[in-house]
Amino acid sequence: MKKLLIILSVSIFTFSSCSKKLDIDPTQSVDEHLVFNNDANIKAALNGAYDVVSGASLLGGDMQLYSELLGAGGEIKWVGTYQQPREIYNKAILTNNSFVRDTYTEAYRAINICNNIIVSIDKVNEDDRNNVKGQALLLRGTMYFELVKLFSKPYSAGDPATNMGLQIVTTPTLDGKVTDANKVPRSSVKDTYVQIISDLTTAKSLLDDTYGEYVGTYTASAVLSRVYLQMSDYANARDEADNVIENSGASLEPAYSKAFNNTAPSSEDIYVLPVTAQDGSNDMWLFWSISDYGARDGDVEVRQAHINLYEANDARLALFYIDDQDVYRSGKWKFQYRYLPVIRLAEMYLTRAECNFRLGTTIGATPDDDLNLTIRKRVGLAPVSVTLANILFERRLELADEGQRIHDIKRLKESVDGFQYDDNKLVFPIPLREVNAGAGILEQNPGY
Amino acid sequence: MKKIKLLLIIVFLLFSSLSWAQTEVTGIVTDSQTDAPLSNVTIIIKGTSLGTTTENNGSYKLKLPKAGSTLIISSLGYKSKEVIATVPVTNIILESSGMKNLDEVVVVGYGTKIKKDLTGNIAKVKGSDVQNMPVTNLDQALQGRAAGVFVEAGSGKVGEGVKVLIRGSGSISASNEPLYVIDGVPISTNSYSGSPIADINFNDIESFDILKDASAAAIYGSRAANGVVLITTKKGKSGKTNFQVNMQYGNNKPTHLRGFLNAKQYIDLLREAAINSDHIEGVDPTDPDQYEDSWLEFAEGRLDRYSGWADWRKNEINTDWQKKAFNDHAPTGGMDISASGGTDKTKYYISLSYIDQKGILIGNSLKRISSRINLEQAVSEKFKIGFNLSLSQTTTGRVTADNEFNTPMQSVALTPVTPFKDKDGIIYTKPTTTYANPYVDYAEGNYKALIYRNIGNIFGQYNFSKSIFFRSEFGADIQNQNDDMFYGARTSYGIGTNGYGESDWFRSLTYNVNNYFNFKKTLAEKHDIDAVLGMSYQEYNSEYANVYGEQFPVDNLQKLASAGLIKGGTSVATKSAFLSYFARANYKFDNKYLVSVSGRIDGSSVFGNDRRYGFFPAVSAGWILSEENFLQNQNILSFLKIRASWGLTGNADGFGDFASRGLWGGSSYNGTGGLVPTQLANPDLKWEKSNQTDIGLDFGFLNNRISGEIDVYNRKTDGLIYDVPVPGNTGYTNKTVNIGAMQNKGLEIVLNSDNVVTKNFKWSSNLNLAFNKNKITRLDGDQTLIAGNDGRYLNSLIVGQSIGIFYGPKFAGADPDNGDALYYLPDGKSTTNVYEDAGNFIVGNPNPKLIGGFGNTVSYKGFELSFLFQGVFGNQIMNGAGGFMSSSFAWFDNQTSDQLGRWQKKGDITQVPQLRLGYDNGISASSRYVQNGDYIRLKNITLGYNFPITFAKNLKLQSARLYVTAVNILTFTKYTGWDPEVNADYRAGNRNQGGDFYTAPQIKNISVGLNIGF
Repeated sequence: MKKLLIILSVSIFTFSSCSKKLDIDPTQSVDEHLVFNNDANIKAALNGAYDVVSGASLLGGDMQLYSELLGAGGEIKWVGTYQQPREIYNKAILTNNSFVRDTYTEAYRAINICNNIIVSIDKVNEDDRNNVKGQALLLRGTMYFELVKLFSKPYSAGDPATNMGLQIVTTPTLDGKVTDANKVPRSSVKDTYVQIISDLTTAKSLLDDTYGEYVGTYTASAVLSRVYLQMSDYANARDEADNVIENSGASLEPAYSKAFNNTAPSSEDIYVLPVTAQDGSNDMWLFWSISDYGARDGDVEVRQAHINLYEANDARLALFYIDDQDVYRSGKWKFQYRYLPVIRLAEMYLTRAECNFRLGTTIGATPDDDLNLTIRKRVGLAPVSVTLANILFERRLELADEGQRIHDIKRLKESVDGFQYDDNKLVFPIPLREVNAGAGILEQNPGY
Repeated sequence: MKKIKLLLIIVFLLFSSLSWAQTEVTGIVTDSQTDAPLSNVTIIIKGTSLGTTTENNGSYKLKLPKAGSTLIISSLGYKSKEVIATVPVTNIILESSGMKNLDEVVVVGYGTKIKKDLTGNIAKVKGSDVQNMPVTNLDQALQGRAAGVFVEAGSGKVGEGVKVLIRGSGSISASNEPLYVIDGVPISTNSYSGSPIADINFNDIESFDILKDASAAAIYGSRAANGVVLITTKKGKSGKTNFQVNMQYGNNKPTHLRGFLNAKQYIDLLREAAINSDHIEGVDPTDPDQYEDSWLEFAEGRLDRYSGWADWRKNEINTDWQKKAFNDHAPTGGMDISASGGTDKTKYYISLSYIDQKGILIGNSLKRISSRINLEQAVSEKFKIGFNLSLSQTTTGRVTADNEFNTPMQSVALTPVTPFKDKDGIIYTKPTTTYANPYVDYAEGNYKALIYRNIGNIFGQYNFSKSIFFRSEFGADIQNQNDDMFYGARTSYGIGTNGYGESDWFRSLTYNVNNYFNFKKTLAEKHDIDAVLGMSYQEYNSEYANVYGEQFPVDNLQKLASAGLIKGGTSVATKSAFLSYFARANYKFDNKYLVSVSGRIDGSSVFGNDRRYGFFPAVSAGWILSEENFLQNQNILSFLKIRASWGLTGNADGFGDFASRGLWGGSSYNGTGGLVPTQLANPDLKWEKSNQTDIGLDFGFLNNRISGEIDVYNRKTDGLIYDVPVPGNTGYTNKTVNIGAMQNKGLEIVLNSDNVVTKNFKWSSNLNLAFNKNKITRLDGDQTLIAGNDGRYLNSLIVGQSIGIFYGPKFAGADPDNGDALYYLPDGKSTTNVYEDAGNFIVGNPNPKLIGGFGNTVSYKGFELSFLFQGVFGNQIMNGAGGFMSSSFAWFDNQTSDQLGRWQKKGDITQVPQLRLGYDNGISASSRYVQNGDYIRLKNITLGYNFPITFAKNLKLQSARLYVTAVNILTFTKYTGWDPEVNADYRAGNRNQGGDFYTAPQIKNISVGLNIGF
């Protein structure tokens, strides 16, 4: 009997362990529902959105790199070992190209954060509400704009109302649910632009006058000027550019070289990504610089054909450097931990000049002033006659290697490396994984 | 008559005990057939609990209460015998029972069993079979020794992970590794880097019992879907202290080298490739006017650069960069000392071991010091306590993963025209070399891992009565690891930043509590019942922290204290827990009929509240036919048992501790913290379940001189967890869901045979073969195919096919007309030179169809030769680096020598397309880079010589043995890569199998050793 009692008590002790022991929470992550229930967390998520947008696959270098590789035109050459950029350079992109895939998915990752913020905007302190919402809208519109330029036919090609644009998703993903909102067909290019302009104009009206690492109303204008330019809506492009020039307070750096390789925003940065030893990424440096500066093997070479475009005393020419193999390198992306300019004020002057010239107007300044007194004078060049060709040529040199090349080629209906501006091969394929995961709704681009 | 005898004995005993005269008896116990001395034979004085066991040389010494006592002599595999002791010498001869294997004690979860009575499938490997094998990981030592246990070292790097699959792959993305249990304590198989199994000294191990079918494993419930490896360490025996010392010395070499172009071939083929590319663009570079900006100019410019101080036109340099990846001399050595012994109440085993292995790769090494104390104390008749404790320190010289530019093997990409050093004796690197020279990272860098590992448990067992006991065990597995990395200012990691340093710290604590009752009783002589009832709780905690920095003033200041810039750091922690209740009952009737039932309820913290608990039952039955009357009157069939089992096991390991939740984690922008989404939620996530049926036959012929087992099994896993792609427009790329189902069907055959058994010459063989067919039976409702073509590899998931099958374009060789790479169109007949238009086909399977081992032991007098062949058949390997090293000179990487057979002129029939610099002529992933991976390997061969006992005695030794042992000394394969036992470490996983990517060949080792006992 005693023995039985002992056995019984041992048993009770043994089997009465507490199942609460299984309630364990993670230490590095928080539940999604905790993120969007107060002001501070939503602002942290907004900062997270900036972080994603500044990632290497997006504006942290790859988007700019793609534009230059597609628009190489014999002026630069991809000599690196990575196959993915080489495919882009050769305009022979495979649908499983992992760079293309990551750019696509990361952009939507940023968009999803913005969608979450916009839906939960009521939880943000009233004083900051407009500003937080405006930033989320601006980042979302910017991402859609960058995507549509890469993954769709240009606005200048064929009929934008029938050409395929993007899948527009404006609802947040929650509770692990893939909803009908994610299973939508691609909007037309035109409708995609409608969405972009809607996001950006709303943002412009909500935002304060911040610019630099964070975005504000003038950043919205600057992005809008790019959007309108792609649509050949010169009047709006001119007005947005003019708004930035006249009202933002930004000014050109006295020396062209000072616009690059900075450890803080320059006076002409409208939107710039902070890159420090601790934070940020810069794929432009990684692929354009050389191993002497910690980069790869100098994967992008600048060819003599490009160098030949400059006048001898052009300060912009002086920024190129020659490595010990006698190859030209872009000095804009020389050092590792340097801020990465996304939109510079100089571009606004060139946009205003071009639009004023095309429209025969002189809003803000004459094209002559913008071209000769502002842009050319700074780099030590004598005035030239004001023609559309001269303005566009100046733009090409001023913004060289900064990720604008293919988009200008496309809107100006030029050709590059034997491809017409509207060639299928100048458009990225929808990544294979997206087509496969898209349940038959997401349509592949023509030519893939 | 019988009664009178008994009476006489009793009277005799009574009288003799009265006389109380102590007498000593000695003698030797030998085998009747071979005259060999038998160790570990139990000798008990009848009617008492007094007794002893024989020493290694078969001798014993025993004090008798009186002359004429009866001794009961028993030993595993021998017929028990009673003899009346004669003083002073009683030599005893034992006759083999033919039941050696069947009477063996097999360790099962929370208990032991006699092999004969098993109803499940358990493979046993004795520690003595793998003793002193010159490998670092115990799982490598098991390779080829147990049927259906597939062991693959991914490469010849020492101290790195080894894949172990029991009866095929059971999961797509959760763990496929078996559970390792050492002396009742499940150990952690997580680590920050390297293999956590390499910390264990396998010379301390008495036996490995591998639970393969579900009925054997189900007592481990949710932990057991991939089988269980029960490891029992050596325990002391009562008797005099027995010392064993082993010393070993050897040398490591790669099993095989691969052929690459020499400098002359490199120059010729590169120029040819450049000229071909020019021709495509309508340029004739041999025309001086067209030379500028031509591919040829570009290539020759690069040749100038790569040549450093030399002139490639003069053929001055021919560097064999492959050799630079390997150590010229890679010695290995080790020493083990152990002592074991005890008294009636106290038993102990103590050991100290040191091994030092230099790997074949530069910078790769492993040193391990380990010690163990196993102690058991009987406090009273009913209560015993004890502990098993091991402590080890492992220091690994690590090399980076196979896809890193600075991993030694990537030196093969460098061009043979590049001199190793410049005129000042400085080793060349970029920009003279195409890529950073890995040798510089080795010579001017340092990457060391230091691991302290403590595995131990304490236990107490209380016997309430002869039939019931309670046992409580508390075990802990503590890992403490520090990886220190430094790369100097000229290395690939340190260039541009004046060096790079990193310090990583990892600590994990797994603790485990087991409490269980055991009941064992024989009723009415015919009913044997034993039962277990208990609970177990396990908690796993891990923490990791690192810091890294740049800007070191000089290369010899390598700690982060000297870093001019601390770039970053992090610290993370995670935790998971299991709570389990289990029960098992075995019933045996009349020694013929066996039934076993078990069940386990497991709760895991990994799942959401509603999905937390799982129930895992198993049943099995066996029938020993040879015990039946109808099989008694014959001499051929000595043993026959059929058995069948079914059970359910689960899997909750290997996909993260919080996989069911929607999570956001920290990020940073502009020096300010932010939140970003990191994981898409799936509240419905639940256990993977594996449902296995096994039918087996155990047999023995001719007094069990030939014995064996045949098993067929069908293992179906369901609810497989997989990261299913979701549309990117959700902001996520994957969702972790229970989608899939998989099946493994197989046949296992084990045959043991004592071919020759004579006094001086013995030869025994064993063969194990395992056929396994893995098949994915469901992915999810929508998808039947998740294509895996990532540009380098083709591992895909396809319903109806094996996991990780190679699915992609089928290469059709070079177009005889123009040298274009051709692929088959979807029709499988016509071809295209457009990769994107090619059809997708099954072009290979990384899962072997058959694995096996064939071991032999031959002994003649003091000599003993044992050798083990191990083979893998029916699998394919894909060279993911083919697009670089066998790429028709797409770029400047040195090419494998098979590229000499390239297409050159119209009409050439070849598998190597025309060389084209800067063009991708056939370098995308396709069957071009797939090859058969079958191999047979002489895994281990050992020749030993046991010095005669008399000789040893003269040296005051009990035993002395000199041996030569070799690992991987011969490999027979048609694979043209480095080694067919391969899986590139940076991507290895359940699906990603059979990939080769600059992966180091396996190690070939020859060692000599001396083993003495005293």
